[in-house]
Amino acid sequence: MGNPLILMHATVAEIGLFAFLWVLVELLNPTETRIRRAKIAALIGVVCLITAWFAGGFYYVEVYGSQIKPAIKASDAKWVHSIVMEVKEHIFLFLPILAMLTAGLLHKYDKDLIKNRDAQVTVVLLAGLIFLLGFSLAGMGAIIASGYRFALEAGLV
Amino acid sequence: MNPKALTRAAAVTIALIALATISSELSGAFKGLLSSIGGHHWIGKSVLSVVFFGLLYLGFSKLGDDQLSLRDTSWLIGTVVLSGLAILIFYVLHA
Repeated sequence: MGNPLILMHATVAEIGLFAFLWVLVELLNPTETRIRRAKIAALIGVVCLITAWFAGGFYYVEVYGSQIKPAIKASDAKWVHSIVMEVKEHIFLFLPILAMLTAGLLHKYDKDLIKNRDAQVTVVLLAGLIFLLGFSLAGMGAIIASGYRFALEAGLV
Repeated sequence: MNPKALTRAAAVTIALIALATISSELSGAFKGLLSSIGGHHWIGKSVLSVVFFGLLYLGFSKLGDDQLSLRDTSWLIGTVVLSGLAILIFYVLHA
Protein backbone atom coordinates (compact mmCIF):
# COMPACT_ATOMS: atom_id res chain seq x y z
CA MET A 1 0.00 0.00 0.00
CA GLY A 2 1.22 3.50 -0.81
CA ASN A 3 2.16 6.03 1.84
CA PRO A 4 -1.02 7.85 3.03
CA LEU A 5 0.82 11.19 2.81
CA ILE A 6 1.31 10.88 -0.95
CA LEU A 7 -2.33 9.81 -1.35
CA MET A 8 -3.38 12.88 0.64
CA HIS A 9 -1.02 15.12 -1.38
CA ALA A 10 -2.41 13.93 -4.72
CA THR A 11 -6.05 13.96 -3.61
CA VAL A 12 -6.17 17.45 -2.08
CA ALA A 13 -4.07 18.87 -4.91
CA GLU A 14 -6.50 17.56 -7.52
CA ILE A 15 -9.51 18.83 -5.54
CA GLY A 16 -7.75 22.22 -5.39
CA LEU A 17 -7.09 22.22 -9.13
CA PHE A 18 -10.72 21.36 -9.94
CA ALA A 19 -11.77 24.16 -7.55
CA PHE A 20 -9.87 26.61 -9.79
CA LEU A 21 -11.49 25.09 -12.88
CA TRP A 22 -14.77 25.82 -11.09
CA VAL A 23 -13.62 29.44 -10.57
CA LEU A 24 -12.83 29.71 -14.30
CA VAL A 25 -16.27 28.43 -15.33
CA GLU A 26 -18.11 30.73 -12.91
CA LEU A 27 -16.18 33.79 -14.10
CA LEU A 28 -16.70 33.24 -17.84
CA ASN A 29 -19.99 35.12 -17.56
CA PRO A 30 -20.03 36.55 -14.03
CA THR A 31 -23.15 37.38 -12.05
CA GLU A 32 -23.41 38.11 -8.33
CA THR A 33 -24.39 34.49 -7.62
CA ARG A 34 -21.56 33.08 -9.76
CA ILE A 35 -19.01 35.39 -8.12
CA ARG A 36 -20.18 34.25 -4.68
CA ARG A 37 -19.70 30.61 -5.74
CA ALA A 38 -16.32 31.42 -7.33
CA LYS A 39 -15.11 32.94 -4.03
CA ILE A 40 -16.05 29.73 -2.20
CA ALA A 41 -14.31 27.64 -4.88
CA ALA A 42 -11.17 29.78 -4.70
CA LEU A 43 -11.07 29.43 -0.91
CA ILE A 44 -11.38 25.65 -1.25
CA GLY A 45 -8.65 25.74 -3.88
CA VAL A 46 -6.24 27.74 -1.72
CA VAL A 47 -6.81 25.55 1.35
CA CYS A 48 -6.37 22.35 -0.71
CA LEU A 49 -3.20 23.52 -2.47
CA ILE A 50 -1.62 24.68 0.80
CA THR A 51 -2.54 21.33 2.39
CA ALA A 52 -1.00 19.56 -0.64
CA TRP A 53 2.12 21.72 -0.17
CA PHE A 54 2.53 20.57 3.45
CA ALA A 55 1.60 16.91 2.83
CA GLY A 56 3.79 16.63 -0.28
CA GLY A 57 6.61 18.55 1.35
CA PHE A 58 6.63 16.38 4.46
CA TYR A 59 6.56 13.23 2.29
CA TYR A 60 9.32 14.58 0.04
CA VAL A 61 11.65 15.47 2.90
CA GLU A 62 10.93 12.52 5.21
CA VAL A 63 10.16 9.61 2.86
CA TYR A 64 11.04 10.32 -0.77
CA GLY A 65 14.64 11.34 -0.12
CA SER A 66 15.50 8.24 1.93
CA GLN A 67 13.39 5.54 0.22
CA ILE A 68 12.19 6.46 -3.27
CA LYS A 69 14.99 8.66 -4.61
CA PRO A 70 17.83 6.12 -4.01
CA ALA A 71 15.87 3.37 -5.80
CA ILE A 72 15.04 5.57 -8.81
CA LYS A 73 18.61 6.86 -9.03
CA ALA A 74 19.97 3.31 -8.96
CA SER A 75 17.78 2.31 -11.92
CA ASP A 76 18.07 2.96 -15.65
CA ALA A 77 15.34 5.60 -15.22
CA LYS A 78 17.42 7.92 -13.02
CA TRP A 79 16.23 10.84 -15.21
CA VAL A 80 12.87 10.43 -13.47
CA HIS A 81 14.45 11.96 -10.38
CA SER A 82 17.09 14.21 -11.92
CA ILE A 83 14.67 15.86 -14.35
CA VAL A 84 11.01 15.09 -13.57
CA MET A 85 11.10 15.22 -9.76
CA GLU A 86 13.43 18.22 -9.66
CA VAL A 87 11.19 20.15 -12.07
CA LYS A 88 7.99 19.11 -10.25
CA GLU A 89 9.15 19.99 -6.74
CA HIS A 90 10.23 23.48 -7.80
CA ILE A 91 7.44 24.45 -10.21
CA PHE A 92 4.96 23.31 -7.55
CA LEU A 93 6.05 26.33 -5.50
CA PHE A 94 4.41 28.60 -8.11
CA LEU A 95 0.95 27.16 -7.41
CA PRO A 96 0.23 28.40 -3.86
CA ILE A 97 1.41 31.89 -4.87
CA LEU A 98 -0.87 31.92 -7.94
CA ALA A 99 -3.75 30.46 -5.90
CA MET A 100 -3.45 33.11 -3.15
CA LEU A 101 -3.25 35.83 -5.81
CA THR A 102 -6.35 34.56 -7.64
CA ALA A 103 -8.38 34.27 -4.42
CA GLY A 104 -7.17 37.72 -3.35
CA LEU A 105 -8.26 39.30 -6.65
CA LEU A 106 -11.68 37.64 -6.41
CA HIS A 107 -12.22 39.03 -2.91
CA LYS A 108 -10.88 42.46 -3.84
CA TYR A 109 -12.98 42.96 -6.98
CA ASP A 110 -16.03 40.95 -5.88
CA LYS A 111 -19.10 42.31 -7.72
CA ASP A 112 -16.90 44.68 -9.76
CA LEU A 113 -15.87 41.61 -11.76
CA ILE A 114 -19.18 41.98 -13.63
CA LYS A 115 -18.10 45.28 -15.21
CA ASN A 116 -14.29 45.30 -14.81
CA ARG A 117 -13.26 43.25 -17.85
CA ASP A 118 -9.49 43.37 -17.16
CA ALA A 119 -10.01 41.94 -13.66
CA GLN A 120 -12.45 39.30 -14.92
CA VAL A 121 -10.10 38.17 -17.72
CA THR A 122 -7.18 38.13 -15.25
CA VAL A 123 -9.01 35.82 -12.83
CA VAL A 124 -10.13 33.53 -15.69
CA LEU A 125 -6.58 33.32 -17.11
CA LEU A 126 -5.00 32.71 -13.69
CA ALA A 127 -7.54 30.01 -12.79
CA GLY A 128 -6.87 28.32 -16.14
CA LEU A 129 -3.12 28.61 -15.64
CA ILE A 130 -3.35 27.02 -12.17
CA PHE A 131 -5.43 24.15 -13.60
CA LEU A 132 -3.10 23.47 -16.55
CA LEU A 133 0.12 23.89 -14.57
CA GLY A 134 -1.23 21.74 -11.74
CA PHE A 135 -2.28 18.88 -13.98
CA SER A 136 1.10 19.00 -15.76
CA LEU A 137 2.62 18.43 -12.32
CA ALA A 138 0.12 15.63 -11.63
CA GLY A 139 1.33 13.97 -14.84
CA MET A 140 4.90 14.29 -13.59
CA GLY A 141 3.77 12.64 -10.33
CA ALA A 142 2.48 9.69 -12.36
CA ILE A 143 5.86 9.43 -14.16
CA ILE A 144 7.68 9.45 -10.78
CA ALA A 145 5.39 6.66 -9.48
CA SER A 146 6.14 4.68 -12.66
CA GLY A 147 9.86 5.27 -12.19
CA TYR A 148 9.69 3.84 -8.67
CA ARG A 149 7.65 0.87 -9.93
CA PHE A 150 10.30 0.31 -12.60
CA ALA A 151 12.99 0.28 -9.90
CA LEU A 152 10.93 -2.17 -7.80
CA GLU A 153 10.48 -4.53 -10.77
CA ALA A 154 14.21 -4.35 -11.46
CA GLY A 155 14.77 -5.59 -7.90
CA LEU A 156 16.56 -2.41 -6.80
CA VAL A 157 14.60 -2.08 -3.55
CA MET B 1 -5.70 45.34 -0.87
CA ASN B 2 -3.74 46.57 -3.89
CA PRO B 3 -4.33 44.13 -6.80
CA LYS B 4 -1.56 45.53 -8.98
CA ALA B 5 0.97 45.19 -6.14
CA LEU B 6 -0.21 41.64 -5.42
CA THR B 7 0.15 40.64 -9.09
CA ARG B 8 3.61 42.19 -9.36
CA ALA B 9 4.67 40.54 -6.08
CA ALA B 10 3.54 37.17 -7.44
CA ALA B 11 5.49 37.65 -10.69
CA VAL B 12 8.72 38.65 -8.95
CA THR B 13 8.37 35.89 -6.34
CA ILE B 14 7.98 33.25 -9.06
CA ALA B 15 11.02 34.60 -10.92
CA LEU B 16 12.97 34.49 -7.62
CA ILE B 17 11.92 30.86 -7.04
CA ALA B 18 13.37 29.96 -10.46
CA LEU B 19 16.52 31.96 -9.76
CA ALA B 20 16.96 30.37 -6.31
CA THR B 21 16.36 26.89 -7.78
CA ILE B 22 19.06 27.26 -10.43
CA SER B 23 21.47 29.13 -8.13
CA SER B 24 21.20 26.48 -5.44
CA GLU B 25 22.25 23.80 -7.94
CA LEU B 26 25.22 25.86 -9.09
CA SER B 27 26.38 26.96 -5.64
CA GLY B 28 26.76 24.49 -2.81
CA ALA B 29 27.13 27.37 -0.35
CA PHE B 30 23.77 28.85 -1.41
CA LYS B 31 22.12 25.42 -1.19
CA GLY B 32 23.58 25.08 2.31
CA LEU B 33 22.21 28.48 3.24
CA LEU B 34 18.72 27.48 2.03
CA SER B 35 19.00 24.18 3.94
CA SER B 36 19.88 26.06 7.12
CA ILE B 37 16.44 27.76 7.06
CA GLY B 38 14.39 24.60 7.56
CA GLY B 39 16.71 21.61 7.40
CA HIS B 40 16.23 21.07 3.63
CA HIS B 41 16.83 23.37 0.67
CA TRP B 42 13.25 22.86 -0.61
CA ILE B 43 11.83 23.96 2.76
CA GLY B 44 14.14 26.98 2.61
CA LYS B 45 12.78 27.90 -0.83
CA SER B 46 9.20 27.35 0.36
CA VAL B 47 9.65 29.61 3.40
CA LEU B 48 11.46 32.29 1.38
CA SER B 49 8.77 32.28 -1.34
CA VAL B 50 6.09 33.16 1.23
CA VAL B 51 8.30 35.74 2.97
CA PHE B 52 9.27 37.42 -0.33
CA PHE B 53 5.67 37.38 -1.57
CA GLY B 54 4.62 39.27 1.57
CA LEU B 55 7.55 41.69 1.56
CA LEU B 56 7.31 42.41 -2.17
CA TYR B 57 3.58 43.07 -1.80
CA LEU B 58 4.29 45.61 0.94
CA GLY B 59 7.00 47.19 -1.22
CA PHE B 60 4.91 47.40 -4.40
CA SER B 61 1.93 48.72 -2.40
CA LYS B 62 3.97 51.82 -1.56
CA LEU B 63 4.09 52.74 -5.26
CA GLY B 64 0.48 53.83 -4.96
CA ASP B 65 -0.81 52.63 -8.33
CA ASP B 66 -3.53 50.02 -7.74
CA GLN B 67 -5.17 49.76 -11.19
CA LEU B 68 -4.65 46.20 -12.42
CA SER B 69 -4.39 45.95 -16.20
CA LEU B 70 -4.07 43.08 -18.64
CA ARG B 71 -0.49 44.22 -19.17
CA ASP B 72 0.27 43.23 -15.54
CA THR B 73 -1.48 39.90 -16.11
CA SER B 74 0.54 39.29 -19.29
CA TRP B 75 3.78 40.01 -17.41
CA LEU B 76 2.78 37.56 -14.69
CA ILE B 77 1.82 34.77 -17.09
CA GLY B 78 4.97 35.40 -19.14
CA THR B 79 7.04 35.17 -15.96
CA VAL B 80 5.38 31.86 -14.98
CA VAL B 81 6.02 30.35 -18.44
CA LEU B 82 9.63 31.58 -18.69
CA SER B 83 10.47 30.60 -15.09
CA GLY B 84 9.00 27.13 -15.63
CA LEU B 85 10.91 26.70 -18.89
CA ALA B 86 14.14 27.93 -17.27
CA ILE B 87 13.81 25.29 -14.52
CA LEU B 88 12.94 22.56 -17.04
CA ILE B 89 15.79 23.41 -19.44
CA PHE B 90 18.27 23.70 -16.57
CA TYR B 91 17.51 20.22 -15.22
CA VAL B 92 17.43 18.65 -18.70
CA LEU B 93 20.89 20.07 -19.41
CA HIS B 94 22.25 19.08 -15.98
CA ALA B 95 20.73 15.59 -15.73
